[in-house]
Order: sequence, then C-alpha cells, then structure tokens
Amino acid sequence: MSQAVLRRRDLFLAAGGLAAGEGAPLPGASLRSYGVKVTDAHDHLHHRSRPTWREDDKKLIDAADRLGIDQLCCSILPPERPTTLEGFRECNRWMAEALGRFPGRVLGYVFVNPGYTREALEEVRRYVGDHGFIGIKLYNDYRADEPVLWPLVELAIQLGVPILHHAGHTRWLPQPQPRISDAGHLSVLARRYPEAMIICAHIAGGGDWEWTIKALRGAPSLYLDLSGSVIDEGVVEMAVEELGAERLLFACDMSLTASVGRILGAQITGDARRKILGENMQRILARRRAA
Amino acid sequence: MIDLNAYLGHFAFRPLRHNTAEGLLRWMDQKGIERAAVSSAAAITYRNAAAGNEEVARQIQPHRDRFILFGVLNPAYAGWREDLRRLFERHSARGLRLYPRWHNYRLTDPVCLELVREAAAASLVVSIPVRVEDRRQQSWLVDIPDVDHAEIAALVRAVPEARFVLLNGSGYTGSILGRTENGLPANYSVDISLLTVELANELGRLLEVLGEDRVVFGTGMPFHYPDPALVKLELLEAPEFVKEKIRRGNASRLLGL
Repeated sequence: MSQAVLRRRDLFLAAGGLAAGEGAPLPGASLRSYGVKVTDAHDHLHHRSRPTWREDDKKLIDAADRLGIDQLCCSILPPERPTTLEGFRECNRWMAEALGRFPGRVLGYVFVNPGYTREALEEVRRYVGDHGFIGIKLYNDYRADEPVLWPLVELAIQLGVPILHHAGHTRWLPQPQPRISDAGHLSVLARRYPEAMIICAHIAGGGDWEWTIKALRGAPSLYLDLSGSVIDEGVVEMAVEELGAERLLFACDMSLTASVGRILGAQITGDARRKILGENMQRILARRRAA
Repeated sequence: MIDLNAYLGHFAFRPLRHNTAEGLLRWMDQKGIERAAVSSAAAITYRNAAAGNEEVARQIQPHRDRFILFGVLNPAYAGWREDLRRLFERHSARGLRLYPRWHNYRLTDPVCLELVREAAAASLVVSIPVRVEDRRQQSWLVDIPDVDHAEIAALVRAVPEARFVLLNGSGYTGSILGRTENGLPANYSVDISLLTVELANELGRLLEVLGEDRVVFGTGMPFHYPDPALVKLELLEAPEFVKEKIRRGNASRLLGL
C-alpha cells in the first residue's frame, strides 16, 4: 500500500479496536477520535410526498449524531423521472427550509435537471448565491458525457462548488435508469473540465466497484464518494491504493451504519482516514466563491 | 460474540482477503469475535460442493475451538446423502449452507426437502444465504437473483422440525417472513449483516415481530467488513440482555454450544 502503509496503532484502529467488542465506546466516539469535522458528502432528506418526511429527517440527523457525523451534505430528489421543472424547484425550496431546521448540521446541494438549461442555471445561482447551498446534485436525467451538462459545469467552476453526480456500473442498464452515468462517462466530463470538482457517487451502491475504481484512474480530478449499502471488504483499501486518499470522500447516502462501518473497518492509515472522513470535503467546501 | 455468517477460501469472482483460517482468526480477534460458523466460499461455484467442505474441514482442524463447520451441499448433485453423512460423522459439522440459485434447484424440490429433513434429523442447522453478492455487481457470466422469500417461507413451513438461519437478507418486513401472524412455524432466525438500524430500522422491527430469540449476529466476513454489524449493535436501541442474545446467546442455543 503506497502512502497507506499501516503503522501498528493504525492497524488497531483500522481493525475496529475502538469500535468493536463488549465495552467498546460508541461508534460515534470512534469517528470523533480522528479529530476532524466528519462530513457526509452525499446524503438526502426526504421528499414531502412521504407522509413521515419530517420525522424521518429527524431520524437521519439523530442517527448521524449518535454515529459522530458532524455535517451532512444533502439534497432532496423528486420520485418521478424525468425530473420536471416544478419537481426540482419544489425540492430546492424544501431543502432551503431544511437548512433552517438543522442549522450547521445540514448543508444543501441544489438539485436540477440539466435539460432545463436556463432555469437550471438560474436555480443554481439563486440557491448557491442567496441560500448558501454548497454544490450541485445531478441524477440520471442526462448522462455525464452529454453536452447539455456543460453550462452547469462551467457555472460550478465559476462559483467554486462541487457537482455530486449519481453513478453506477452494472453489466446491464437498470431499466428505470436508461441514462445512468458511470465512471467512464464522468471521466469524459472531467477531462473536458479538469478544474471542476466532480464527485462520482456511491462506490458501494453502484454495481461493479472494481470497474469503477479502475475507470477513475484515468481522470485524476474526479473525486469518489464512499457511500452505499454494499459492505464488501476491500473497497476502501482498493480506492486508496488506486486513487489516493485525497480523492475519496466519506458519505452515507442514507446507509449510515454500512458507511460508517466501512470506514472504521478499512485497513488504511490514520492520515488517510482523516482525509476521507472530513479534510477532503472541507477543503472542497472552502473553495466556494460568492456568486 | 458468535458469528453465524463467515466463510473461508476463494470466491470465483473477486479476491477475498483474510480468507484463510489463520487470517480470519486474526481478524476475529481484532473485532472481539470468539467463534464463527464457516463454510467454503469456493463451494458456491464448485460443481462438487463437497470438495469445498473437505478443504475447509482441513483448514479449521487445528482451530475447532474457534470455528464451527457448516457444510455446503447441493441436493441436485450426485452423492449428497453420503456427503451429508460425512459432514456430521467425520467432520462434526453443525450446519449446512444452501445455495439454491447458484446450484440450480428450488428449496421446495422434493430432493431438497429430503435433504433438509435429513439435516434436521441429524440436528444440523440449515442456513440459507439469501444473496452472495449484490446483483448489480455480478459478473457477466452469471445472473443470480436473491433467494425468493416466498420460496423460503414454503420450505420452513414444509419442514417445521428443521431450524433455519437466513443470512445476508433484508426486506423481510415487506415479505411473509417478517410479518406477524404469518402462519409460519417459528423455526427460522435471521442474521443482522444486511439489516438496517437507522431510518427504516428493520432490525428493531424484526425484534418485535420475530422476537428477541430469533435474531443472530452475522457479518458475512471475509466477503464483508464485519464493522457494519458491530456498528449496528451499538446503534440498536435495545436492552443489553437483548443485545447479548444477538451477540451470542441465540447462536449458542441454536448450535447447542
């Protein structure tokens, strides 16, 4: 393991020495023991078509509290596809309200469908500029290598904010997601805009994670979020080895125990873990410029 | 803690680490796991699954105080009766692992029912990994869905005297297996490896529906990081005695330890 050579203490920490076994401290204590602002780079609050959305939002934050997650970068997505103009506007209004309900804990991504070019650009300017949103969330309305994304990427570069892009690579195209992007499509976009901060979403929730990590090797400006419900051993170690800890972001995407456990269990150095848990995302957040 | 969901050996579609007896023991020690029920990962894709059992039995021989052998059997393959006999007579196996989708049979096939009845007569626990890998990441060579919950329900109903443990499953609360008053015998337990505690809290709901005696600790290592299971137990809002049943008490009872 290149920079991730393990010291004895790190081995103990990596092995869950602080998290496991009877009498062990709460997992939150383990995350906090790394001394960084633990930042979940990819999460969601609930759409209000869900009757229990308010209670479920609170459950998410309560669980994050107990697990030691300091900040959650969230978006709200509408259930219907393709995303309508009113659909994403409504979600962003709710997201702005949520920032008031969870001040300092929840940070907002503005979610748009790039197909509504003018309106999407206006939405991003409004919510990043006036409401303090920290980035842009894109889903599967278009693939990342389609030119329709270019104006949004250029605006993100201008504003100094990241784009979190839904992604997955399976051996078949999921029928409900005919335009899902994979790391290859994101690499095309990243090579066109190497100064953009583009995050490939959920390595542990998007299919063949070995393929994704290898595909990201050729696009060094891309970040990778480590969220997802799949708890396969080795994913974090391979990502650190192949991409470097500087490109990796702790994230949950609503799978909190899986994602916290994945980071606590990975055999990586303490330095790599600190970067992943918060330093990298905080550095991204610090690059935001006034609209 | 007793882990009812662990494996040794190679898997056909990706490298596993910590997959030797010594490697897994080191990992178990680091995580505070005293004993693990292990079966062959290679047997999932071996034509002759029993060859995987022999490999694992040899590996764990010096560590029988820590490892509990579960054998993989394929009732659709020749010679399973003799393989079953060898498992409990020669290797002191305490349980079976069945892979109906990988081995191309149904749990309700007469030959499978016969195997499960034989296993019950030999006091073997029958475990069923609902999945091996998330289907989205499977190789282009295979297309293996999760084991259908209704099929499992038909099996547990058909062989009420058997004791089942369902591994790597989730979504029980949306199926017959996780409903109250489902008409099924209380002869099956579930492991926690893929259950949620946050948000939907399927683990907490199953404790209510199935009862605290029917949820067991399982990690899925070395396929999985064991830490998510550990984190779930920490986050779970349940009395300590219930957590202790999950950690070891229920598995001890099932295995007769």
